[in-house]
Amino acid sequence: MNYRTDRIILIIFLLISTAVAFLPYFVQSEYLLRLITVVIFWIGIAGCWNMMSGYTGYIDFGPVVYFGIGSYVAAIAMTKYMVPFFPSLFLSGLISAVIAFFIGIPTLRLKGAYFAIATFAFAEAMKQISLEFDRTFKVSFFQGSDGITLPISGHDNSFFFYCILPVTFVVMLTHYFIEHSKFGYGLKAINEAETAAEISGVNTTANKLRAYATSAFFLGLYGAIEAYWITYITPSDVFNVQKTVQMVIMTLLGGMGTFLGPIVGATFLTLISESLGTRFVEYYLIMIGGIIIVTILILPSGIIGTLKIRKRLRFI
Amino acid sequence: MDTVFAQALINGLLLGGVYAAYSAGFSLIFGVMGVVNLAHGELIMLGAFTSYWLFDFFNLDPYLSAPFAMFFLFVFGYLVQKYIINQVIGQPHIMSYILTFGLHLMVANIAIKMWTQDFRSITTTYSGANAAIWGLNIPYARLVTFIVALFVTWALWFFLMRTETGRAIRATAQDKEVARLMGVDIRNIYAITFGLGAAITGLSGSVMSPFVIISPEMGLEYTIIAFCVVVLGGMGYMPGALVGGLVLGVAQSLAATYLNAGVSVAITFVILFIMLIIRPTGILGKGSVA
Amino acid sequence: MTGLECKEISMKFGALAAVQMVSFSLNPGEILGMIGPNGAGKTTLFNCIIGIHKPTFGKIYLNEINITGMKPHKICRMGLAKTSQIMEPFQAMTVFENVLVGALHGGGMKMGPAKKKTEKVIELVGLAEYAYKLSGSISVPARRRLELARALATGANILLLDENMAGLNPHEIDEALEILRKIRNSGKSLIVVEHIMRVVMGISDRIIVLNYGAKIAEGFPEEVVNDEAVIKAYLGEKLSSLKVA
Repeated sequence: MNYRTDRIILIIFLLISTAVAFLPYFVQSEYLLRLITVVIFWIGIAGCWNMMSGYTGYIDFGPVVYFGIGSYVAAIAMTKYMVPFFPSLFLSGLISAVIAFFIGIPTLRLKGAYFAIATFAFAEAMKQISLEFDRTFKVSFFQGSDGITLPISGHDNSFFFYCILPVTFVVMLTHYFIEHSKFGYGLKAINEAETAAEISGVNTTANKLRAYATSAFFLGLYGAIEAYWITYITPSDVFNVQKTVQMVIMTLLGGMGTFLGPIVGATFLTLISESLGTRFVEYYLIMIGGIIIVTILILPSGIIGTLKIRKRLRFI
Repeated sequence: MDTVFAQALINGLLLGGVYAAYSAGFSLIFGVMGVVNLAHGELIMLGAFTSYWLFDFFNLDPYLSAPFAMFFLFVFGYLVQKYIINQVIGQPHIMSYILTFGLHLMVANIAIKMWTQDFRSITTTYSGANAAIWGLNIPYARLVTFIVALFVTWALWFFLMRTETGRAIRATAQDKEVARLMGVDIRNIYAITFGLGAAITGLSGSVMSPFVIISPEMGLEYTIIAFCVVVLGGMGYMPGALVGGLVLGVAQSLAATYLNAGVSVAITFVILFIMLIIRPTGILGKGSVA
Repeated sequence: MTGLECKEISMKFGALAAVQMVSFSLNPGEILGMIGPNGAGKTTLFNCIIGIHKPTFGKIYLNEINITGMKPHKICRMGLAKTSQIMEPFQAMTVFENVLVGALHGGGMKMGPAKKKTEKVIELVGLAEYAYKLSGSISVPARRRLELARALATGANILLLDENMAGLNPHEIDEALEILRKIRNSGKSLIVVEHIMRVVMGISDRIIVLNYGAKIAEGFPEEVVNDEAVIKAYLGEKLSSLKVA
């Protein structure tokens, strides 16, 4: 089989990643470095969603919950138990993945809209619980709407750049792995025809769970990094449904279930929101709405997905 | 029965009536087309604003402006389905969710642009009025909405069961291919269904306008509640919105009375999540699954 | 014994009994034909065996292991694969990748050997020219073969073929029969559900007949054709004259 295009893309991806890794030495402007970091951050987060929903076709409307859990695990570990940042980071990913595993067992049996709504409900429930837990049980743990202030890191933007870049790099490599592995073929088969996959020997439950928990692991990492970066979190911020929406739209715009999709979609939308969002705030959301509608109607497979079909490229 | 409990129960039932009134259209649209309409709250918002402006300009009572809201929303819904959502029939359902989410963003933000983010309300002579019976308060405006919910459920049932168009809608909901072969113009039926769903939702927005805060951003919250209501009642099962609305209304009201208001929201989502896991067909088990 | 054994399988959907107390066995290397009018319960019976439905009553043994109620993917990995009457290729994948899924997951192989196995199977069913086409874009006869290839790639020793030749012309049927014989000669056993009598009569070692969910006859092809109950089930028509393609 001819994997040549894929190999070339992988090599280009590795080269660009390496080049990007040296950027902080050349970019003098703090603004620019922060912008680049934000783009890489969103590529990874959109990638997390794509890894699960893009490949399996199970539309997760509550991925933000694992982001939020990651933020809270890190915040609580660092402030209440004085755990240093990196162990807290790892713990965030781990706990997100474990929770995803146990939530995935019942929810991944649901199909279509039911799965979407259940994941959405879980995310909203977690947000409300972390808002109301302390008041209801008279404790001080999540600190409700007061939020948690993390220890000031004292690190500059390049520190967070080097936290985020490797995670995004691994997320994207995981995509490449999914495209070319037994696991990935299982996921794609589930997406196409789940019963046929099952009778062809695909352990659908295990594969879906694995994708769901992996995606949650990385989202937990991003949540923890962001919490440490902005040093102050509240349930309404970290569990904000707007984050879910961003992940979905970025991936959809780029192309669901493709390697380059999240990269293209996240870069495009982040740059647009950066350039338009500040100058024409009032029109930004109207335009996003318009972009969504036009994308769905004209490019239902996303930018990359459409290219794939037009150019007859097998993978990218 | 102590008064606090009785009052909580009455509040819950009336709240449930409000929920049922604005969720019936959501259930109809999902039941027939499988579209989870994420712009549902915007239909309520548009209904409420129709009444607001007619009240503001002509001092027209919201109950009298309700037919205008229905008509306007029917046309709006019909066109949206015909020219936008119909384009993704036969594609994966996610397309329709995302599409309606795009509509939500556009409609809500255009409304902000036109009418600003201000909170508005309609103050009528009966806005704060209560009937006091045995020491219990029953707000008139909510009671009217409750009755409207009952009427809408009945009228919808009657329409679907007894009219030619209703039969065509049911046939399309059951099997759109067979309906097509039987000569049903399914695209037109979809447009009518969406228009109808939008019209009864606009009606609810209109009759709610005397007691809710009206703002361009009000929609999303209503969409989320409609989600919960319809899942509880059984998705796609018409009387389900009434059942789900009442159950959710009473549960929230009791939680708010005995715990606190924030917890009642948390409970809503916990109930929704557990319900989907253990009984996705709704309380009565009559909803459709996938 | 080795092979497949079904004991008193019953499947009810609400009040409807789709399959009632059906028992039969399949010996190694045998081709068992299964016939019966539409709605006789053949597909439901297959779905019970393959694990899509859990039978309401009865037991299924594969090589003396009770597989009743096991998940389909487990049953598949134990050596039992099915082709569906309603073709369900993974449309966005190429023919090669479709078959590869069977080899990787059903056969539990690593990528390298799985690709080799896939090539072999595709060669065997005669799909080589379509290997790199999207499976959603190929013709019905090719899709039928794809179903067969995907089942074969799992390495299963027993294949259940649910109307795998529906919609094929006589020439294509001959080719398909040739493939089935090759598969049998490689030591696999088959259960073949088919409406086309010529196919069932020509290839089966034994035949069982279902009607209204119950088994009404079992025996060699020539015995079954002359069986009273079978003839009655087919509205009095002589079987030999029925639906000859």
